[in-house]
Amino acid sequence: MNGNDHNRWSEDLAAYMLGALEPRETVEFERHLEGCERCQGEMRWLQPALHSLPESVERQEPPPRLRQALMAEVRADAGEEGDERRGFLPGWLREGFRIRGLRIATGFAVIAFAIAAVAGYEIGKGGSEDEGKAATLVTQEHGITVKMVREGQGGTLHLAKLHQLPPDKVLEAWVRREGKVEAVPALLVPDRKGQAETTIADMSGVDTVMVTEEPQGGSETPTGEAIVTMTVPS
Amino acid sequence: MTVRREKAERLADEELMPLVGRKDPEAFEVLYDRHGGAAYSLAYRIVGDRAAAEEVTQEAFISVWRSGARFDAARGSVRSWLLSVVRNRAIDFLRSKAGKAPKLDFDDESALEQRPAAERTEEEALRRETATEVRGAIGKLPGEQAKVIELAYFGGFSHSEIAEILSLPMGTVKGRMRLGLEKIRGELAEGLA
Repeated sequence: MNGNDHNRWSEDLAAYMLGALEPRETVEFERHLEGCERCQGEMRWLQPALHSLPESVERQEPPPRLRQALMAEVRADAGEEGDERRGFLPGWLREGFRIRGLRIATGFAVIAFAIAAVAGYEIGKGGSEDEGKAATLVTQEHGITVKMVREGQGGTLHLAKLHQLPPDKVLEAWVRREGKVEAVPALLVPDRKGQAETTIADMSGVDTVMVTEEPQGGSETPTGEAIVTMTVPS
Repeated sequence: MTVRREKAERLADEELMPLVGRKDPEAFEVLYDRHGGAAYSLAYRIVGDRAAAEEVTQEAFISVWRSGARFDAARGSVRSWLLSVVRNRAIDFLRSKAGKAPKLDFDDESALEQRPAAERTEEEALRRETATEVRGAIGKLPGEQAKVIELAYFGGFSHSEIAEILSLPMGTVKGRMRLGLEKIRGELAEGLA
């Protein structure tokens, strides 16, 4: 790293820290930052100034209902986890599974989803897959609404109520077919309403659909925890 | 297995986070009680509306609950991390409301100051002194440096948008950001000396 190169990027440091670089500039700056000890050092030095900004605002008292609503949601979430730990679900479902290093958030996510998905399975307008009509799976996991619309050989995965992702993250869908995990080519990025969708061209033989959070550009194999795991009835 | 509330209260934030990662509601509750006020205040400062601030704060804390394991102690304190989550959510909220960036009237010098008066509580009295010092540090900034920092951090504007708003070259905007942060840093360092 020569001095000129550093000086060029050094001008961007404060803008980067304040979140004021454009997305493309942010990616380029982060690439530089990774290998520039001077920028890293300067950033460490300036960090307390950045962290002081939110402390500078006038204090407001949050309404008590905010705490109540938050804790109700948290306790409901924790309750679900507790059910799993207490053996609420059948053992054969509780085993969970690992796919090429993917750590599923304990067996519960899979299990709860399998049950919910089967329960929520409905055949559109009395038709069936064989007859070429749409079939829909609808369920929820961790507040995320998941809908899989099957049409012919393929399907469309719709997600709603997603939280916004950090700029360096995307969602990636995966299917498990005959024990092998395959990436769904189109990555998912939640829109402003927290919705995202992707098309799965071939659903034949697929028994599970999952979504994980991955670095920008996606991954070849799942590296993050599954935020959604849907068991597809055969 | 959850820790009891009294035990959780004795733990440092960094010790609470692994418990939050393991979905311990008591640990999470303590975390909220410690930082919920600052989080809500920051959200309110950015979005300027109580209902929206409530929504943003709730979303931010729920995302922390669901991704608590992602906290990296090497990159700063729990509080800083948490407030950065709140800030990002609030800016996302502004952008979704305004199309891209929040619409503020920058011809009006007071536009950025139009926030309701503080409703301080005893619970946050301990933070007040520090906050006052910090406000002092920011308050000592030359106006043009304070303005670009406010537009970027609290307004969510990019440096090129700020350059357009203030009719300044982009290099000048970046330079003022840098000088402003350096000056705040210097003031904080002096305060500690």
